[in-house]
Amino acid sequence: MRRGGGASRLNRFITHLQGFLLPLLFLVVWEVWAVHLDNPALVPRVEAVLNVLLHPFSELIGTGTLAWNTGVSLFRVLFGFSIAVVLCVPMGLVMGTSRVFFRLVNPLVELFRPLCPIAWIPFAMAFFGVLSVPQLFGVRYSDTILDSVQVGMVFIIFWGGLFPILLNTIYGVTGVRTLWIETAQILGASRRRIFRRVIIPAALPAIMTGLRVGLGISWMVIIAAEMLPGSDSGIGYLIMYSYELAEMNILVACMVMIGLMGLLLNRGLLFITARVSGWQSLER
Amino acid sequence: MNRLLIDGVGKVFNGDNTREVTALKDVQLSAGSGEFICIIGPTGCGKTTLLRLIAGLESPTSGTIRLDDQPIDGLNKSCTLVFQQFSLFPWLSVLGNIAFALDSKGVPKKEQKREALDLLRLVGLADAAGSKPHELSGGMQQRVSIARALAYDPEILLMDEPFGALDERTRQKLQDVLLDLWRKKRKTILFVTHNIDEAIYLADRIIIMAIEPGRIVNNLSVDLPRPRRRLSAEFTELHVRIRDLLEIPE
Repeated sequence: MRRGGGASRLNRFITHLQGFLLPLLFLVVWEVWAVHLDNPALVPRVEAVLNVLLHPFSELIGTGTLAWNTGVSLFRVLFGFSIAVVLCVPMGLVMGTSRVFFRLVNPLVELFRPLCPIAWIPFAMAFFGVLSVPQLFGVRYSDTILDSVQVGMVFIIFWGGLFPILLNTIYGVTGVRTLWIETAQILGASRRRIFRRVIIPAALPAIMTGLRVGLGISWMVIIAAEMLPGSDSGIGYLIMYSYELAEMNILVACMVMIGLMGLLLNRGLLFITARVSGWQSLER
Repeated sequence: MNRLLIDGVGKVFNGDNTREVTALKDVQLSAGSGEFICIIGPTGCGKTTLLRLIAGLESPTSGTIRLDDQPIDGLNKSCTLVFQQFSLFPWLSVLGNIAFALDSKGVPKKEQKREALDLLRLVGLADAAGSKPHELSGGMQQRVSIARALAYDPEILLMDEPFGALDERTRQKLQDVLLDLWRKKRKTILFVTHNIDEAIYLADRIIIMAIEPGRIVNNLSVDLPRPRRRLSAEFTELHVRIRDLLEIPE
């Protein structure tokens, strides 16, 4: 009994270890490389990167803290992404249900879809400049994090989320099983009730997939946007600025942070997905 | 009195390349109030199409379907259909599925739970009220589907091979459950099957269909007293007769 327990604990330990093996090897190779090269302006030591990551609230090269810049980027993304969700999910629901509306809007969608959201960045900069969201509403300075949310950035985050959300919602709605719709019909449900109580819940798993893909793209796009001239905060800006100052340890720490936050956003949405449409994974 | 009257009904589907498929041709059928009718026939004889026409999910190419002398136009609100496939909404609990049908009847939210539980008790599944469909076996899911159909309280209950995907034992058990419900609720039932014994065990009347084109070829009354014994001489004799009519080789 004890032996069995010990063996299974050992097994579990080994299983855990397997996941850490390659990342650990990567770190070791990195460290050996850094020591060998001995040029912190090119390849920083692991310890120097960790030092930045473990002190997220200390001031960095005159641009605020790592935590602040990460927070600004996250806030921008969640702001723009929320607008994308609020506009694109209903639009996809209507496009998926109404053939007329689909025929009307789809050519436009197909026209813009191949356009990489990053290609919108210069346009957005030219059009909106550094106008912040409060300024758009006539408030010059609101003294909140909103002052760091530029309209142009919201615009391109919106474009990042737009198509994954829209297309997955349409796909979800058109893929609802005929059997479920007919079942609702023969149980006397009105069109309105079929839409609310059958089509939306049945399409929800696909919609959630769209949100996850869209949020992932939005997160990539915002980093790119923050790297461009005219930007004054955010993790993309911090990366670019540390590049200019050859502070490679900060640069790499920012990269790690981008990865971690991307992971976190994805996990967050997976958590919500399991809550709202958990039936799907159990169905098959 | 004939409640349901199907008069000269035909259904032609337009396949690909303008090839037309005659699913049903000149179907003549009537069903009295409270009658239990089984429809039996080979695959492709239009059994399912016939039920879908009665339910109003499709409209006939020719002929009329009348209910109490009113022609059916669009969805037929007086019937509901139990599908062969498991058709419970997977995102709703068993109770939620039944409440969906009660909603259509305008049953107030407060009374829905009590009524749903009453119906679940009728099909012997009161304990499963909180379960999700995927937690139930196929037989249990079909019982819930039947309870949900009864919650809609139709005048005519259409059933499309509801026990087709179940094993023999479960199937027989559910046949008894259904007969019991039929006795209590006195619904008119049109039950499609391709199982001869099932038809003989359940029906007041058996409609036999044939293919190419889908049509009714025979109409047999089953006069055996209930409960019917599946291995009795009369039962077997009827079974053999239907086999002959369906042209099934020995």
